[in-house]
Amino acid sequence: MTAAPVTPLRMLSRLLPFVLFLVAWEAMAKSGLIDPRFLPPVEKVASALVDLGASQSFYTDLAVTFGRALGGLALGAAIGIPIGAGMAVSPAIDGFFGPLVKATYSLPKTALIPLLILWLGIGSATNIVAVMLSTLLPFVVYTYHGIAGVPRILVWSARAMGVPPRRLLWKVMLPAAQHAIFTSLRIALGFSFVIAIAAEMIAAHSGIGKLMFIYGESGSYDYMFAAVAAIVALAYVADRITVGLSNRLLRWDDIENRLG
Amino acid sequence: MRTIGASLLRALASAYPLILIAVVWEAVARAGLVRPVFLPPLSTVIAQLVPLAKDGEVVAPLAISLYRTAAGLAIAVTAGVCFGLLMARIRLVRWLLDPLIAFSFPSPKIAFLPVFILWFGIDHLSKIALVAFTCVFPFIVAAYAGATTVPTNQLWAARAMGTGNLPLLWRVILPASLPSLMSGLRVGVPYALVSTFTAEMIAGGGGLGSEMMLAQRYFETPTVFVYLLIMLAAGYLIDIGVLRLREHILRWHEE
Repeated sequence: MTAAPVTPLRMLSRLLPFVLFLVAWEAMAKSGLIDPRFLPPVEKVASALVDLGASQSFYTDLAVTFGRALGGLALGAAIGIPIGAGMAVSPAIDGFFGPLVKATYSLPKTALIPLLILWLGIGSATNIVAVMLSTLLPFVVYTYHGIAGVPRILVWSARAMGVPPRRLLWKVMLPAAQHAIFTSLRIALGFSFVIAIAAEMIAAHSGIGKLMFIYGESGSYDYMFAAVAAIVALAYVADRITVGLSNRLLRWDDIENRLG
Repeated sequence: MRTIGASLLRALASAYPLILIAVVWEAVARAGLVRPVFLPPLSTVIAQLVPLAKDGEVVAPLAISLYRTAAGLAIAVTAGVCFGLLMARIRLVRWLLDPLIAFSFPSPKIAFLPVFILWFGIDHLSKIALVAFTCVFPFIVAAYAGATTVPTNQLWAARAMGTGNLPLLWRVILPASLPSLMSGLRVGVPYALVSTFTAEMIAGGGGLGSEMMLAQRYFETPTVFVYLLIMLAAGYLIDIGVLRLREHILRWHEE
């Protein structure tokens, strides 16, 4: 879990467990202990994946799901970060949003989906609002702690040098809180995929979550496994891009603060 | 008396945003600004709790949901602690599992629900499997982190005094991992609740999530809100319980 230099040998050593995993899967599927419909062999899932990769409609579904997840995420950030920043600098704002954050923190966010269906109907609007609501709290909480944790001495020195409050926020507090904000972005990114897919599974006409259930219901289990594999791989790539972006933008920051 | 009154007043004053929202909700709904099927008055929602509770539509679904959450969590804690400790102690296990865990950690676990339904059916077991699979990762990480932070001096001292492998695990490594495991529990419990409710909403089969979807389909909006408030209260109370448990278990540990 520590960052060591990436050598070809190390890469190979980290890839080998995946090969072993696939071999174990294949052995289980071929052994006849498990009904092959319940665990299709690796090559069938792989050929289903290739088939999906060649079909236009699969990319359309992926684009729909990603668009909903990232759209909700962007809205969550656009609303959550200012609220968190406001709470950190103003006791009045903190007094208003603080109790609301505390009261809704333990609410399972998917519980709002039935209400949103009632209000907005089945479709992208419900999905995007559900993602927005569930990513809101990580942005609020981390931005708040990030800005509240800015060393007093930085704020005092800036003030002593006559920096006006607005510039103080943009030039001192937000840069110092960038790290916390990127951490919240990573957490919220994970939430956004979960909520977008869950909302599609609950009620939707399109999207990858809906697609998986269609494959499951029609008995095309090799395609269902292929879709799950595609989602896992894409979520991993999205997470790595966020971490890479964060470490690149924050390369002036201390090494030990970097995301893993 | 005066101090109790004063502190009660202060508590009310600090909760003013919640009261404000409740009042605005009630006023907007009563004034007929929105159709009751979209937003019934808060008082109607609270009144709806009584007939629901009388028909046994509160306690029984709550019990089903909590059973699934608890069973999934129990599996996740057991498996997570085993894997985490093995990874911390045995290099081969770490080499084998670390890349697999790093790869699947960021994946949306809900995507596996169709697979679990295929394997375990639509009753309890597929939901428990989803909860266990969602929550096992934070526990693996917590157990691993806890076990790797045991000071080497303590391990050597225990060894020098002739502590065997199993007692070393049980008496030294596991207690040292407890603080990080309790933090893992606080992260894991909300995940477990969300996974349970979501799986119930998607696949049905009883429980609060499934009842809520049914109420939504029949446009019984007050009932949807009742279940929403019960989920909120359950999450809140369980979180307080976990915090108390943490304080109790870690009373020897300076934070």
